[in-house]
Amino acid sequence: MKLIYSIYKEYKVLTRDRAGLAITFIMPTVLILIMTLIQDSTFKSVNESSVPLLFVDRDHDSLSQTLEKYINSSKFFAITKKQLSNEEVKKEVAQGHFLIGIVIPENTSKKLRERSTARITKLLNSFSGDSTEIVFSDTSKIHLHLFFDPVTKQSFKTTIGSAIERIISQIEMQGMIVALNTKMKESFPEAKPSAPENAPLVNVTEEYASYNNSSIIPNAVQHNVPAWTLFAMFFICIPLAGNIIKERQDGSAFRLLTMPGSYFIVMLGKLLTYTVVSLVQFILMLCVGIFILPLLGMPQLNIGDNLPLLFLIALSAGLAATGFGLLVGTIATSHDQASLFGSVFIIILAAIGGVWVPTFVMPDIMKTISVISPLNWGLESFYAVFIRNSTIKEIWPEILKLWVFFIATLSGAYLYQKYKRLQ
Amino acid sequence: MIVLVDIQHVSKKYKDAPKAAVNDLSLTIKKGEVFGLLGPNGAGKTTFISMLCGLFQPGSGEIFINGRTHKTHSKECKQIIGVVPQEIALYPQLTAWENLMFLGHMYGLKGNSLKEKIKENLKILGLESNIHQKIISYSGGMKRRVNLIAGLLHNPQLLILDEPTVGVDVQSKQAIIEHLKKLNKESGMTILYTSHHLDEAENFCTHIAIIDEGKLITQGQPQELIRQNNCNSIEDVYLKMTGTKFRD
Repeated sequence: MKLIYSIYKEYKVLTRDRAGLAITFIMPTVLILIMTLIQDSTFKSVNESSVPLLFVDRDHDSLSQTLEKYINSSKFFAITKKQLSNEEVKKEVAQGHFLIGIVIPENTSKKLRERSTARITKLLNSFSGDSTEIVFSDTSKIHLHLFFDPVTKQSFKTTIGSAIERIISQIEMQGMIVALNTKMKESFPEAKPSAPENAPLVNVTEEYASYNNSSIIPNAVQHNVPAWTLFAMFFICIPLAGNIIKERQDGSAFRLLTMPGSYFIVMLGKLLTYTVVSLVQFILMLCVGIFILPLLGMPQLNIGDNLPLLFLIALSAGLAATGFGLLVGTIATSHDQASLFGSVFIIILAAIGGVWVPTFVMPDIMKTISVISPLNWGLESFYAVFIRNSTIKEIWPEILKLWVFFIATLSGAYLYQKYKRLQ
Repeated sequence: MIVLVDIQHVSKKYKDAPKAAVNDLSLTIKKGEVFGLLGPNGAGKTTFISMLCGLFQPGSGEIFINGRTHKTHSKECKQIIGVVPQEIALYPQLTAWENLMFLGHMYGLKGNSLKEKIKENLKILGLESNIHQKIISYSGGMKRRVNLIAGLLHNPQLLILDEPTVGVDVQSKQAIIEHLKKLNKESGMTILYTSHHLDEAENFCTHIAIIDEGKLITQGQPQELIRQNNCNSIEDVYLKMTGTKFRD
């Protein structure tokens, strides 16, 4: 009964503190919305997805068709097909409308096939002493035009260049096989050979290293929603610490300490109440990711299908945050001190932990340092569930770290209070 | 009279402090007494009260409450004591009713008996019409009265009042003192009272102890102290014993 009343009291105090509620719920919502919108294009670039590409196909044959199919299948590029002159393509890219422009001139595939066939025919003819020159219908050189915006990443250039080279090789190879086939038929008119096989000998399978065959690609929403939710959960240390300091300053803590067993109950009440608040924050922020962000043109947050595990991560992070709040509230001697120390410390932990800038774009040294931040443990756990559909088997070390942090901060608060009373 | 509180050679020195806050203090508080503990700022009153309430242990000496110590019977000792701190130890965003219900539950009270107790005290102290008003909207005197009720809810045998009438108007002060006198007379509640209102202490207390620099200087019944020191009032006795030097 004491505990229930203690929780009820905390609930009443919290719900009547409008400024505290604003910090607790509105701040993370606004941060998620702003940061997701700001970082969306950056994440797209990091993810190498949806790079605008202008594709001018004057060939309408195998090279252009295969290249277009390949570019589409890579999912890196958003293809726009237009019929423009080379100068116009160059202008479009220069103006930043497209990062890459590709022009496939007319008859490119036909010329390529002819010349490949000619090469093998010439080679085979030379065995029989025939040195007749092959005459082409079109002797002009084959030119593919690629236009790159100067800011285009090298990886995109390499991707396009490799794709074109690979397709040209395929067409050359096909031409050679056709020529060889024709020559062999001439040498063995009675033979009935099977049709040449075009299927590749090696198949390369690309798959995301996720569990349960999930292949969710990380994006700004999947980073920012858990990141800022964790930030808000840990920011709860400021109202919680303020609450503890206020009780100490107005004599309530003194009164509670004189009641049998009550101070422990009151602290437990705070711990449970603020942990529930952090869980409510988590649910609300998920709702922002699922329902609000899509309204702003952002991708919808995909939370995977392991809800109990998500709850466990949120609970662990909530307890870690509340434990930290209790420690700050116990050590700080004034509300100003708690606010300053709490906010600066959380901002540093957030920066280190990959809330502001995700760890996967950090330099190696920062990636190493990031593992000391509890926000990083929570964030990595959320990534694992959202992106890789991980199970408890994969993320238990991160969850254990959050629990150890919670127990350490709680013990620290208890021991500090005991030490101060002994002094 | 039966001894309720027995203080035996209690001392307490804080770390890094140049001298002891309480220095070899011995005194007894008998059941039914209104015991005034007077002294200038820094005399050791708050340290003494904190030890009496079990917030921390004395460096040396023993404190017996009803024959028991906090070391061995913390729960029983705390159950006997009711504390009214000098600060308004209430939650300003909660109503008087919510504050008192919470504190009542923390004392282990519940149900209708708690509700009746709260209503009764609010009525006696003239707060029944403001019962569902937030504490933040109360006047200083109203807050003091609710602060007092919070310490009385569990019918403590020993009520510790740390300057209960500081900063309140005459009407509230009178209501508080009259209620305390009534409790002392009717239920035999023992009261330990500290104040800088020496005239109030003279009229209210049945026994007064003056301490300074952690030591007991003098103690006795108010009129006896006045007579022994050839003074006209407790204030004169106090100034005679502690001097006129500032204690900041």
